[in-house]
Amino acid sequence: MKKGCRYGTHRVLSPLGTLPQPALKLDNSTDIYDNEVLIDVSTLNIDSASFTQIKQACGNDPAKMEEMILSIVKERGKLQNPVTGSGGMLIGTVKKIGESFPKNRIKIGDRVATLVSLSLTPLKINAIKSINPSSDQVDVDAQAILFESGLFAILPDDIPEKLALAALDVAGAPAQVDRLVTEGDIVCIIGGGGKSGILCCYQAMLNAGPSGKVIVVEFSAENAKRIEKLNLATDIIVADATNVMDVYNKVMSITGGRGCDVTVNNVNVPSTEMTSILITKGQGYVYFFSMATSFTKAALGAEGVGKDINLIVGNGYAKGHANLTLNIIRESKEIRDLFEKLYV
Amino acid sequence: MKKGNKYGTHRVIEPKGVLPQPANKIDNNMDEIYDNEILIDVQTLNIDSASFTQIEEQAGGDKAEIARIMLDIVAKQGKHRNPVTGSGGMLLGTVEKIGDALIGKTDLKVGDKIATLVSLSLTPLRIDKIKDIRPDIDQVDIDGKAILFESGIYAKIPSDMPETLALSALDVAGAPAQTAKLVKPGDTVLIIGAGGKSGMLCCYEAKKRAGVTGKVIGLCHSEKSTKRLIELDLCDYVFAADATQPVPILEKIEELTNGQLCDVIINNVNITDTEMTSILTTKDGGIVYFFSMATSFTKAALGAEGVGKDVNMIVGNGYTRGHAEITLQILRESDKLRKVFTELYA
Repeated sequence: MKKGCRYGTHRVLSPLGTLPQPALKLDNSTDIYDNEVLIDVSTLNIDSASFTQIKQACGNDPAKMEEMILSIVKERGKLQNPVTGSGGMLIGTVKKIGESFPKNRIKIGDRVATLVSLSLTPLKINAIKSINPSSDQVDVDAQAILFESGLFAILPDDIPEKLALAALDVAGAPAQVDRLVTEGDIVCIIGGGGKSGILCCYQAMLNAGPSGKVIVVEFSAENAKRIEKLNLATDIIVADATNVMDVYNKVMSITGGRGCDVTVNNVNVPSTEMTSILITKGQGYVYFFSMATSFTKAALGAEGVGKDINLIVGNGYAKGHANLTLNIIRESKEIRDLFEKLYV
Repeated sequence: MKKGNKYGTHRVIEPKGVLPQPANKIDNNMDEIYDNEILIDVQTLNIDSASFTQIEEQAGGDKAEIARIMLDIVAKQGKHRNPVTGSGGMLLGTVEKIGDALIGKTDLKVGDKIATLVSLSLTPLRIDKIKDIRPDIDQVDIDGKAILFESGIYAKIPSDMPETLALSALDVAGAPAQTAKLVKPGDTVLIIGAGGKSGMLCCYEAKKRAGVTGKVIGLCHSEKSTKRLIELDLCDYVFAADATQPVPILEKIEELTNGQLCDVIINNVNITDTEMTSILTTKDGGIVYFFSMATSFTKAALGAEGVGKDVNMIVGNGYTRGHAEITLQILRESDKLRKVFTELYA
């Protein structure tokens, strides 16, 4: 077997010298290097920003969506949406393990979910078996490569695979909430009604405790009602998160003008940076999980209004994130039922 | 006096409901100020370099035409936001009037000389006369007035250094101040883009905070800036490399840190595709501070996940409390840096 680089640079075809994620084209051949794992892929879970973009570009037509996904992978050797830059994740079965891949972590036949983005995962699709505009999970016959540095989770046997996949897809968010939120904090979750938002709300309610507050800003009245029913927030605001002053005034009225200690942004629409910044109190934290975040809007925006706050780029990986997220599914029957209904 | 909004939304004419920066037109009537505003008698506009270059090109280098374009921008928008680049700049002036609601709350008094550190792209401005244009340093002397909102940040101009020197350092005040907050004694720090204006200030501040048990590594690009940084003797180690190439830089940093990697990375370069270099050279649990406006949010977010790095990535905030003081203090403490800044930027 050929010797591979820990980060998979040996698969980069162009431009040379970059890592697999920023690369334009990867080698997706299924002959593995000595530190790689070959996976037989059964389902792709496409990142929500990417899936929305593909859906819109194809006018909700499944045949056109299929064609678009195949053409991206054919051109790039990976499923990285050229517009959003994002990927997603996959589930499959371990088929082959390179001799230098770290020992005893995985065995042939294991069912795994990869927790690294599809935007850097070499992928070859033989056929798309089923695609549905209302679900970002696409069943495929395909092969993928996991690098030595690549993260994965062995799928648990007490949670159905597709449910586990749906939750693991956003595992970074609740794990980071767990790190940031402490007892008594005022937390605002923008886009709290979506998949990652619900998990964040659960973790925030747990960490902030009875003396804290969890405020959810949600665009859809239906999602807001769901949050209320599940008791995942202390306060709910139904508003358009891009309307800065409206959200600001509502949050200030709930917090008595104090603003929030921690703001978590989960929405997948652009121009919600200023809303996140304004509702956060001085020295507080804004955690941007939304892939629609503009770096310059966040950086210049905070300076423009003279806010001394910490703006953090959402890292999809935090140690222990898969376990924490699967435990939420185990602990909360309501969330489990809801996820099964909505995402599986 | 009329009551104003902290962020200046009371001055927005259109479109309604937005903040002053994205607004197309703001009210620049200075006859009457709101109760939480500060009126400034403006002396000099320090136009953002991207904006000034654009105006200069459009005017074909003709000063009278530059003046006409600038007056036209302000007449249309009530602020000096370049319609092409979207950027502003900062200004230097004297406090003329302080709103009632701010009396006792601000450390400013009438007659203080200040630089505003919020962008001209959101600052209500009236130009009565353009007196002098200095294209080599993007500065324009005017007769005019400006408004600082309650949320607006500013710095008092110190009396112990020339105004232009203070302005050039204040322009990048956020970076060294954040460095001061992040770097702890004993830390290993990598400054990417260490030879530039903000990079040099960060190197100084990082070494001061990391102390003798810490290590500061400066990464430069050009031969000239590498030589300058070595001569300034601010870092424990300086090397030149292309910051868009993560793998060779990772190898170099592994060698310099015995495989331990860095606690804090400060990224100051204004070129794209340096996110992965920053992420890979950080140790697990370490901090990457992105000051570069060329940073891509998705490249950083997905990049760290992609290589399984549990690092904290922070969006550079140009403002942090005390940033002007920290930055001006560097020029007081370091004669060598003050000399370089005077030669290059003042």
